[in-house]
Order: sequence, then C-alpha cells, then structure tokens
Amino acid sequence: MTAIAVPAARIRRRRPAWLRGPSLIGLISLGVWALVAVTIPLWTPNDPLAPVAGRLLGPSVKHWMGTDALGRDVLTRTLWGARISIPVAVTVIISAVLIGTIIGAAAGFLGGWVDAVLMRLVDITMAFPPILLAMAITASLGPGIRNALIAMVLVWWPIYARLLRAQVVAVRQREYIDSAVAIGASRWLILRRYVLPMSYTPVLVNATMDFGQVVLLTASLSFIGLGARPPSPEWGAMITEGATNFYQWWIAASPGIAILLVVLACNFVGDALRDSFDVKEVTR
Amino acid sequence: MSYVPMDSRRHVRRSGLLSLALAGSLMFAACGSSSKSGGTTTPTGSTVASGATAAASAAAGATTAGSTATGATTGAGAANSDKALVIARGMDVNSLDPSRSYCDTCQIFMTAVYETLIGLDASDNKTLVPRLATKWESNATQTEFTFTLDPKAKFADGTAVTSADVKFSWERLKALKAASSYLVSTISTIDTPDPETVKVTLSAPNSAFLAQVNASYLGIINSKLATANGATLDPATDKAETWFLSNSAGSGPFTLESYTSGSELRFKRNDAYWGTKAHFPEVIMKETPQAVTQRQQLEQGAVDIAMQISSDVAKGMAGADINVKQVKSFNYVYLALSQGAKGGEALTPDVRQAIRLALDYAGLVDVTVGGAGQMQASPIPNGFLGTDGLAAPKQDLAAAKALLAKAGVTSLTLDATFPSLNVYGVDFSTAMQKVQTDLKAVGINLTLNPVEISVWADKIGKDGIPVTMLYFAPDHTDSSQYVQYFGLVKDSQWLTWTKGTDEAAEDTLLAQAFAAPDSTSRAAVYNKLATDMINDQVIIPVVNPDLFLASRSNIKGMAYSACCNLVLADLSRG
Repeated sequence: MTAIAVPAARIRRRRPAWLRGPSLIGLISLGVWALVAVTIPLWTPNDPLAPVAGRLLGPSVKHWMGTDALGRDVLTRTLWGARISIPVAVTVIISAVLIGTIIGAAAGFLGGWVDAVLMRLVDITMAFPPILLAMAITASLGPGIRNALIAMVLVWWPIYARLLRAQVVAVRQREYIDSAVAIGASRWLILRRYVLPMSYTPVLVNATMDFGQVVLLTASLSFIGLGARPPSPEWGAMITEGATNFYQWWIAASPGIAILLVVLACNFVGDALRDSFDVKEVTR
Repeated sequence: MSYVPMDSRRHVRRSGLLSLALAGSLMFAACGSSSKSGGTTTPTGSTVASGATAAASAAAGATTAGSTATGATTGAGAANSDKALVIARGMDVNSLDPSRSYCDTCQIFMTAVYETLIGLDASDNKTLVPRLATKWESNATQTEFTFTLDPKAKFADGTAVTSADVKFSWERLKALKAASSYLVSTISTIDTPDPETVKVTLSAPNSAFLAQVNASYLGIINSKLATANGATLDPATDKAETWFLSNSAGSGPFTLESYTSGSELRFKRNDAYWGTKAHFPEVIMKETPQAVTQRQQLEQGAVDIAMQISSDVAKGMAGADINVKQVKSFNYVYLALSQGAKGGEALTPDVRQAIRLALDYAGLVDVTVGGAGQMQASPIPNGFLGTDGLAAPKQDLAAAKALLAKAGVTSLTLDATFPSLNVYGVDFSTAMQKVQTDLKAVGINLTLNPVEISVWADKIGKDGIPVTMLYFAPDHTDSSQYVQYFGLVKDSQWLTWTKGTDEAAEDTLLAQAFAAPDSTSRAAVYNKLATDMINDQVIIPVVNPDLFLASRSNIKGMAYSACCNLVLADLSRG
C-alpha cells in the first residue's frame, strides 16, 4: 500500500463565508461606524450643534459635505449621528431578542395553553405593518428618541419569539432531549443546556439583518417627526432638513449615504451568516 | 390672521413621508411628486375687473408694501382664461363657515366668495373703496356708522343683498365667538331702516371700524339661504358649519364648488355675479404643503401659481415661463414668552427682556429666509400706523447677561414646544434652533419640541407654553388688530394664552386710539402702544419675511393684498 501525500494547502480550512467577500466589507464598515460612534468626541472636525460657516454652502475642501441652513458642518453632524443610530439599533435588537427569547422559549418548550396564548399575542402584534405600529406607539407615548426606541422594541420582539419557538419545538423532539428527561434533568436545565444552544443560530442571523432595518426605522420615525428632536444630528432628522432645503442636495445626501452604508453592511453580514448556517429567512 | 385649532386638518406631510419611509429610499425622500390637475372648464367671455374706483377716505393708517419683480416676464403662452386656474398652496383651512373661518387660505376664500361692504384698493393697499356699499358715513364721535348698499348687489342665487343680510352676518359672527369675532366686538346694535341702509351703533368710539369692515371675515352671508340650512345666532343651536363645507351663500365673483380636506379647494365662477365677472371659470387650489413641490409643479406646468415659495427655493426659479415676484409683506413670525404657562414661572420681565436682548435678529433673518426679510421692532409690523421711529431690535449679550444676573438666574431650562410648520418660507424648526443657539450663549437652554399644530393648540390652550413660535398676517389695514390680538388688553388672544394680567394702561391707550380724531393723533397713540407691547416682552417678532409670488409668466394680476392675501377675481391668463 502506498501512502498518498496530500498537499498542505488543500487540507487548510477555508475561512467561513461570513469572513469573506462582501461580508468582510460589511464587518469592516460596521466596525468603522462603531469606532466613529465611540470616538467621535475625541476628534470631531467641528461642533455638530454650532454654526461654523455660512448657511447652505456646498461641498468644499473645508466642509466636505457642505453646511446646512444654520451653517453647521453636515459631515460632522453625520458622523455624530452614528452615536444616536447605532446605540439605538443595538439596544432595540438586544431588547427585542431578549424578550423574544423568553416568550418564544416559554411557548415552544411549555406548549399547551401557554403556547397558544403567547403565540396569539405574537400573531396580533405581527398583524400590523411594523412602521405603522411603531408610529402609533410613538405617537401615543409622545415624540422623542426614547419613545421611538420603546416602540421599536415592542414592534420587533414577536419576530424573535416566533422564530425561537419554532426552533425550540423542533429541538425538544430530538432523542437526546428524551435521554435528558430520562436521566432526570430538570426542565430548566434541559432548556438552558440542550435546547436553547441548538435553537439560537437563526435568531443570530436575523438579528444581524434586522440591525440595519432598525437603523432605517429609527431614521424613518425621525423623518416624520416622531423620533429625535432638533437639534439632534440623527440621520432621519437630518434628511428632513434636507427635504426642506431640497436644492441643497448635500444636506440629505450625507446622512442618506450613512444609512445606506450601515444597512448594506448589515445585509452583507446577515446574508453570509445565513449561508454559513443554512438558515431560512424569516420575514414578517 | 393666525392659526385657529381645527378638526379637519390633514397632515399631508406625515402621510407622504410615511410612504417614503416604507420605500426605504430616505435620501431621495425630498423629491416632490407631481400630478397634473384636471380641472374641466367651460369657455366664457371675460372682461378685466377693475374694481370700484370711488376714492373713499380711509380711516386706516398708511401702509405700503413695496415690490420688486425679480423674474423674467417673457410671455409664453397663448392660452387664455378659459382653462381653470390651478394654485399650489399649503392650506390651513379651519372652516369654510364665514363666521368661523380664520386662516390665511380663508382670507382668499372669503374674498372670492363673500363680499364685504368696503373693499381695499389693490394699487396702494390702504385706500378703502366701495364694494357692497356705495357710500358710508360716521358721526363725529365714531360711534355710529351708516352704510348704503348697492341696489344692484345680488347673491349667487339671485337674491338681493339687503341690510337684513348684513345684520344677520355680523350678529352671527359676534354671537359665535369665533377667532375673528373680535372684529365686531364693539358693535352694540345694527338697525336696518330700509333694505339698503345699515346703521351700526358701537359701544365705544372706534375710528378703525371701517378698516375692520374691510376684513374679509366680515363678508356678507345670504341670510335666508344660511338660516334654511341651519345657521342661527346662537352657537348652541347653529348647525350650519357642515353645510358650509360643501356650499356657499355669498355674493362674490366665485362660489364654492367643492372642498376636500387635505386635497383641494375648488371655486366656480359666479356667472350671475352682479359686478364685473371673474376671468377664470374655475379655480382649483391644490393642497401642496412643501415649497419644493410647489416649485416642481409650477415648473412642470401642473399649476399656474405657487404661493408659498421660500427664498431659498425661489433661487434660480425665474425664467422664460415663470415669473417670481418678491414683495414686502406685513406677515411675520414671532416668539412668544409666557410667564403664566406651566413651567414658565421663571420668565419674569427681566428674564424676558434678557431673552429679547440675547437674540441675533440679523442672523435670524439670514437663517430663516436667507436675508429676504426685515427685522421688526414691535408686534405692530413695519409700515402700519404707529411704527415710524421704532428702532429695530438689537442683540446685546452683555446687557442680557446683566439682566439675568440681576434676576438671579444662572442657568435656566425652558420648554419650547412649537408647531412643526413652514410658514411664509420660514421653517419653524430652523428658526427655533437658531433661537436655541442664541439663548444658550446667555445660559438659557431651550428644550425644542416640535409637534403637530393640533397638539400645540391643545397644549397652549390647557397649560400654556413657556416659549413658542407662531405667525400672523393682517386681517385688515388698521394697527388696532395687533393690540387686540397681542396686547395685554381685555379679551386678547395672547392674554388668554399667556395666562397674563390685563394691563389697564393698554386698554386705555387702545380706547384713546379708537377715539382719536385724526390719523396723526392715532399714530401717536399706536406708537405708545407699540412701545408698551415691546416692553411687555411677550411677543418678540423674529422676522418679517418677504413674500415670493411665483406664477406662470402668462398669469396676470398677481399681487399681495394686505386684507385678503390674494384676490382671485383680479387674476387672468394673458
């Protein structure tokens, strides 16, 4: 028998899909925005709230994205906007995933009337278009970024609840769960150690995709006057100012590009994660 | 005219932007839509309306509005006035009931559909001219006024306009206690010795009464038609407001064709008009709140007139097909400070004075309208009687800080809830951000809270608002309206909203102005009142913006009216 030598290069494992191509670009983009959000106070080009030049000046060497109606530097305000949009999106996603996980896991694992009641609640919430529901909740709570955040959490959690419940129902029917039951493991232990770890991948993938959507919805709520209050440099609010000064295209273009970059990056990363874990997309 | 709370206002902006958000194309969201109006027309002959020319003496003060045409004037169209006239406008209609309506758009509507006894000469915006009344006279004490009606005057249904209609219209306006009722508050009795004579007795001398009669809100209603449809002299039993939303009962050159809140207001020419008929068979006012969209629709030929173009949007707009006329107006945007409002307790006279001194007025004119406007000293606008010699406001940060120190204020945070509006080209959000920046320099922090105007109206009516912003356009040509609306005088709107205290001195001065025998002495009294109102520091004018009237180059007769905004009957297509 002759041993066959296999070249080392052929047995080297390839990097996972989410660390290659567009996904890598997305990750870098998100990383840069996160870095900007954290560090902008240390190196801000200008004061985002104070006039620094004449009003409505076009892009120039001094002001790359021009100035707005109050003479504030548009690029500076766009960069500062990351400090609002990104933390809001992180908070919304984490809160929605937590709530969705608790409710989805309870429904899927306990079954019976608990499942029926919780899932009908999910059905009712998901019966409304998310932006309309978010608008209605924000309008009733009062405009402002905090209330917009609460509204978005209330809109988003059912997605994760439904997703996780489906996973939990599938996992708990597997044989190793029966084995765990047979050896006398408690329900809580089974759920924590054997069910949830096997159910969480789709939630992670969806959360990545949804991050961009939350950024977009935050901007949308601010755009219609329900989100950030002036003079906050929130991206949606800045686009509203751009709508008033339509012929000064740079005012809306700058935050618009920022939104585009963040949402695109999230989509790249989310797509790659989905391919990697072979997860079916869940949409409302 | 200023805002009146209403039920039927549609917030078009919000719904338009929602669809944008759903589309997920926010950066392109500012694109305005364009839709061609399909107004149907019937060809008719037309003659130029010249208006009455009798030079009636005006009790009103000298008010002038200069104008400078900035647009090219090349005629482009061979079209005539057979087609409907389409106007793009953000409408603020609160009601189409003539005794309840009170808004900028209402002035246009009222002037087109209902006629007043006295008109205003469009050429100088100050001379009162005959309209339904051919002549009028008053006693020496200005407490009795007698009007003689034109026997030819007829309502759109052919009924003659009589003194009974005048009596009914003005008594109903007074009884309904609407926003414009202050115009008839001094009327004591109305006698109708014959169908063509109206004798009005006032409770006190009022030399401004003729100017008030010129206000579009004092238009005459067909009393028989209105009462047949629920109009009464008792607000508890009056049921006509709904009927007036789809019908009119006036004698003007147009009638109401239809009104769809948030969409359009249609006028139909009154072909039975007793005077010179209007040129256009139909006028369609399309709800178009955004100046940018108005410009796009005008450039695309979808509309003939865009009425609310801001100075920034107007830039580069004039051309072969479009005229842009920049005119000085009496409209203004103001800041209002209320010590009596919940949370406004710290707004003592010294603090209010400090706020006044802290504002960068030249900067505000620049930021809000790109310099296309004027600073204004007092709540009585530039050009009205009594404003000569009033110094323009100036920023003085040192004096402001000294006043705050004297008041013991080192740091102050105030709620600044304001309606989310763009009026006369002034974006309130931008203006308030500038105010916020200016006040921050003296240690006063404003918490800006833009809200829908209905929310704003609820709040100011209930708790008051410490710092807010609003707008005003004149109802008529006399300065008294500003004292009656803004002064700390009995029944004034802002006395109510600020929950302030009636200043007896201002009431006395107003009575003196009404009783003054000539315009010189009235000017002196109004000057004192203007100074008093400046010292009240309740109303601080921010900017008196120029008006940009943009139209297709073949539209003739575009002019700003001090009483009536835009007179539709004067427009034609050349």
